Amino acid sequence: MIETPQPKTSPATPPAHAERVRVLSVLVEDGSNTLSKISGLIRRRGFHVRSISVGPSRQVGRSRMTLTVDAGHAETDQVRKQLERLVEVIEVEDVTGENVHSRELVVAKVKASEVDGLVERGAKVLNSAADGTTVEFSGEGKDVGDFIDELMRHGVLDVARSGPVVMRRTA
Amino acid sequence: MILEALEREGVEYIFGYPGGANLPIYQHLPEHPKLKHILVRHEQGAAHMADGYARACGKPGVVFATSGPGALNLVTGLCTAYMDSVPMIAITGQVNSTAVGRDAFQESDVIGATSSVTKHSYLVTSIDQLPRVIHEAFHIATTGRPGPVLIDICKDVQQASAERVTPERLDIPGYQPNGHVDLGHARLAARALASAERPVILAGHGVLLSHAEEELFKFAEKAAAPVGTTLLGIGAFPVNHPLSLHMTGFMGTGWNLKAVQNADVLMMVGMRVDDRVTARLADFAPNVKTFIHVDIDGSEMGKNVRPHIELVADARNALEAMTPHVGELEAGRGRWLAQIDAWREEHPLKYTHSNGHLQPQDVLIDMYKRCRSEAIVVADVGQNQIWAALWWNYDRPGLFINSGGAGTMGFALPAAIGAKFGRPDKAVWCVAGEGGFVMTAQELSVAVEHNLDIKIVLLNNFSLGMVRQFQDDFYGGVRSQVDMTHIPDFVKLADAYGLPGIRVDTLEQVGPAMDAAEKTKGPFLIDFRIDPEANVYPIVPLGKSLNDFWEAPDK
Repeated sequence: MIETPQPKTSPATPPAHAERVRVLSVLVEDGSNTLSKISGLIRRRGFHVRSISVGPSRQVGRSRMTLTVDAGHAETDQVRKQLERLVEVIEVEDVTGENVHSRELVVAKVKASEVDGLVERGAKVLNSAADGTTVEFSGEGKDVGDFIDELMRHGVLDVARSGPVVMRRTA
Repeated sequence: MILEALEREGVEYIFGYPGGANLPIYQHLPEHPKLKHILVRHEQGAAHMADGYARACGKPGVVFATSGPGALNLVTGLCTAYMDSVPMIAITGQVNSTAVGRDAFQESDVIGATSSVTKHSYLVTSIDQLPRVIHEAFHIATTGRPGPVLIDICKDVQQASAERVTPERLDIPGYQPNGHVDLGHARLAARALASAERPVILAGHGVLLSHAEEELFKFAEKAAAPVGTTLLGIGAFPVNHPLSLHMTGFMGTGWNLKAVQNADVLMMVGMRVDDRVTARLADFAPNVKTFIHVDIDGSEMGKNVRPHIELVADARNALEAMTPHVGELEAGRGRWLAQIDAWREEHPLKYTHSNGHLQPQDVLIDMYKRCRSEAIVVADVGQNQIWAALWWNYDRPGLFINSGGAGTMGFALPAAIGAKFGRPDKAVWCVAGEGGFVMTAQELSVAVEHNLDIKIVLLNNFSLGMVRQFQDDFYGGVRSQVDMTHIPDFVKLADAYGLPGIRVDTLEQVGPAMDAAEKTKGPFLIDFRIDPEANVYPIVPLGKSLNDFWEAPDK
């Protein structure tokens, strides 16, 4: 379910498509069935997951998920409403739009040993070896996309990219 | 510990079937004489019995099944209850917690298989979880929008012993079912309906579930607004009332559909507005300027029809809050109600005797005279269901039970059995076609074992009638795999199970057969050989709008 570097939206996709996509920050109870309940619901209602990030929340026994979901043929707000029906889901916040901090992480291995260009962009070198250099970079989705384009010039061997983790900006 | 918890929750009946992974529970069952266990003949029957029980008496139905095939046999019954918002608790045995995931004997992922047809589910792997889980399960099943909750309990947990504990106070952060009525929206909604020229109210199962019939009646009378019901809302408003539009939807009455399609304000209360109600969605209620939707489940708002005014609340609270705001009616209702009366005259329910066969309506009209608005009628799925829904003027709630959302064939007999356990004071009639009946006919044993006073009205047309009708009219007239000539001789079948049965071929035989059924205490089956070509009317052709309904031919 984790997004691969290639964005799935093709240029031919009508703009309405983007409007159907919601970014939701979801606080859930930890449990063996939570992830499958959420993914099952999304499948059953005809929605599509674009990305998903899960990690422990501040509260013990609860996790924070950031979901990017395409509502398919349903009204976009149905995604939030259907998630809220699940007993495992404590809170859903729609964080679609501008006023958020959105961060994605990419870890990549490149052939080149000279990676100054990447470091200038904000990448951190994790490991340098004879067979290549491993770097990490985080940023907004677009910056991560640009960074991956830049990687191409360094001979990419491997890329792992997370989905976005999002938090509303506070004034 | 499980059984004690069930006693504490006030459980009277359990419909179940023992097997390897729930034997520890059954071992202790005789120590709890207050829990009456009904041994079913197939787990699907148990789920439908619990469902019928819950629909008849309002208490959650309780089901036991073992792991693997036992639990999986519940799936259809859980889905039936889930689609129609029926409170149910299913307790399934699971293999030992240490064996989970090893493909042990009769292991199956019951939680995975039932997640999409339950309101919530639990896998219990430790005895400490049990008291909380059972208490929560009953709470979740019965509150808000009710539904089935499944508890899968590992066998070692069933065998474990622990200190007797009373469950802690409920604390389910992800479950807050009782939305309060937004008074501003209630006032807006009431004013919109009151100031409408052509208002229509549609009432669904939610009205019955929240016991809002009286509030609906008061509100509708004050607003002088006509009221139709969905198939599951039957009984929410008396059909013989001048404001009644009877049943809506793609097999609804002509005057109802005319009213819905011409309404300028449509209030939908306690319903999902599904495709069987709207027919072609794009053409549903095209003249409505203001849609008002009242439902306790917020996700129903805009799921199918986007309302202009929404009230996420219990139907009774919402109607109560709206009524005072109806005020004086600005526009007279005379013209609109006269128009509806004219449509009622123009599009009556009708059937003919043109071919000399016994008609299903002949049977049902006789049956309903005997029911006298007192008996519970449980219908199966198909033509029998719609005939049973349309051919009686239900004037009070709780008398008509059927599988609306899931449309589960084989529902009627076990659900009727459950209904009789739930309401032993009521006469119970089970209406079914021969196709659905044979799907769960093995539960006749339960009716006989407990000498349940259930009258089974088989509308036998030797074919899958609804499918045959669809094939005739919407699938090029190709009759494919609908012939049911090879079914049992039902009188002999009844005899084999140990209950009396009669076969009826003509109109003259209907009354005496019904007399015999009524005189018999205990189950009774009548095999009515009805017109094999009888159809359901009105009907909206598949994919068409509600405007395009067909009526019964005159000859």
